[in-house]
Amino acid sequence: MSAIQVRNLHKTFQTKRKAAGFGGSLRALWKPDLHPVEAVREISFQMEQGELLGFIGPNGAGKSTTIKILTGILHPTGGEASVLGFVPWQERQKLAYQIGTVFGQRPQLWYHLPAVDTFYLFGKIYEMEEKALRQRIGYLSEAFEIEHLLETPVRKLSLGQRMRCEVAASLLHKPRLLLLDEPSIGLDVVAKQRIRETIRRMNEEEGVGVLLTSHDAGDIEALCKRVIIINHGEIIYQDKVSALKRRYLTSKQVDVRYSNALEPDFAIPGVEMLKVGTFGAKLRFDVRETPVERVMAALASAGSLVDVTVSDPSLEEVIRTIYES
Amino acid sequence: MRKTLSFLFSLWKTNLLSAMEYRVAFLLQVFGMMLNNAFYFLFWVIFFDRFEQVNGWALEDMFMLFGVVAVAFGAGTYLFGNALHLAGIIANGELDYYLSLPKPVLLHMLASRSVASSAGDFLYGLFSFVVAIVVTGEFSTGMLARYLLACVAAMAVVVGFLVLVQSLAFWIGNASLLTGNAVNAIITFSLYPITLFDGTAKLLLFTVIPAAFVGALPAQFVRTFDWASLGQLLLGAIVFLGLAIVVFYRGLRRYESGSAIQVRM
Repeated sequence: MSAIQVRNLHKTFQTKRKAAGFGGSLRALWKPDLHPVEAVREISFQMEQGELLGFIGPNGAGKSTTIKILTGILHPTGGEASVLGFVPWQERQKLAYQIGTVFGQRPQLWYHLPAVDTFYLFGKIYEMEEKALRQRIGYLSEAFEIEHLLETPVRKLSLGQRMRCEVAASLLHKPRLLLLDEPSIGLDVVAKQRIRETIRRMNEEEGVGVLLTSHDAGDIEALCKRVIIINHGEIIYQDKVSALKRRYLTSKQVDVRYSNALEPDFAIPGVEMLKVGTFGAKLRFDVRETPVERVMAALASAGSLVDVTVSDPSLEEVIRTIYES
Repeated sequence: MRKTLSFLFSLWKTNLLSAMEYRVAFLLQVFGMMLNNAFYFLFWVIFFDRFEQVNGWALEDMFMLFGVVAVAFGAGTYLFGNALHLAGIIANGELDYYLSLPKPVLLHMLASRSVASSAGDFLYGLFSFVVAIVVTGEFSTGMLARYLLACVAAMAVVVGFLVLVQSLAFWIGNASLLTGNAVNAIITFSLYPITLFDGTAKLLLFTVIPAAFVGALPAQFVRTFDWASLGQLLLGAIVFLGLAIVVFYRGLRRYESGSAIQVRM
């Protein structure tokens, strides 16, 4: 049985437009200018039990709206959806016992209390036995490396530490499916990596399916087997991550800094030099045509390296490429 | 039922733990509110010192009235503190959290906040009830049972009315101003002697602003039992709670969420 089945899902919001200034406000008061905004347009997809599925798109693409419909928070305007056999907006409470949710911008931990207090409250919400809850907290705090953080008020935790506690809280009741909406938003590289590793571990050990939304292609590349790209409320791509990488994540951008001055005509064959300064350069190359090790060797031989940053193309670039192709 | 109660007690405990993180602020709010109520009541002491009675309503009736209203309002907004913030919660898309968890969304949301100053109202109400007993010299276990029942019914009307008014936010967006006016109106009118009003004004106090169900009616019921008052009390509580639940869940279908960054206090 599929974990998620979505067919022609549609969501339209009515939004009010108003001209600038006091006059505009008065006119809007008298005659509001309402416009329909299609946040999700007839999307259809399927997700298998235990699958790691990435749902990516730029801000405002419709990712969060889709997740909110799938958790029963929003009612769709049209279409069908089934999550673990439940229609989310009709059987919200039954479904909530089976799924875990994390909204990156909406913490569920109580801000002034240590995370462990929220964990015990969640134990009551999910009607867990005291002993089972204690064991579960022990297991998750080891898995997420948060034993030393449990008794610190949440307001005193760093964003990365807090997010590890958030994801652990969402897994307390052993959900069959985890819906993560931008769990890595605002996190640094190390914190992102730790969250990704732990999510992968929970998927392997407990078989929990993960639907992950992000506007960071790196999250999907590191975690998911399959990816759906959504833009302007429509699915524009769905396939394996390996296929996405092969077709669209083929270029790398490198920012490099040196302690010595570079030659003004510094260049590497097969590499596009975006910018060459006195002590650094920005360059881009296609990994299918120019091997990474050759570029790195050329960079290392150009001088005494201080810093190197290698990044993937942004999601916006990937989407642009998909549209162009 | 047992699971729901256990869940509610856990929520209230968590609210208390959260408030106790700032003990001094919590205690200041509690005592501040008690002092505030005492100063307000001082006005009525001076008033009845000069006029003794208003259409048969005397100072001891005011003690009983405060005993019921302050306990009903205090308990209602301490145990279901988000009843005072519902309009903002709806307008800011903060219902997402409650909708993603497996509990009745209205009950969960209402009980997820305890207003610290409400504990001051509650304690002041109990004090006022004790003073009413001392002043009138009337006390029986029956009266105590009636007091408890009257306070619970009045609390149901307060919470129901607040939910009802604030649920309008599902239709009109930001209903915070309307809510502020509604809260002030029900508190103000429930603390006036009911004998000041008649005709249309009295009808309004049993319908549009159901202050009579929160103050005068339960206060009279505590002092003298009669079946009609009991029926009215229970009917008021059931109607306003029922209406609140129906309107809230009708509105919930229109809920549009939001993207504001939030924290859980």
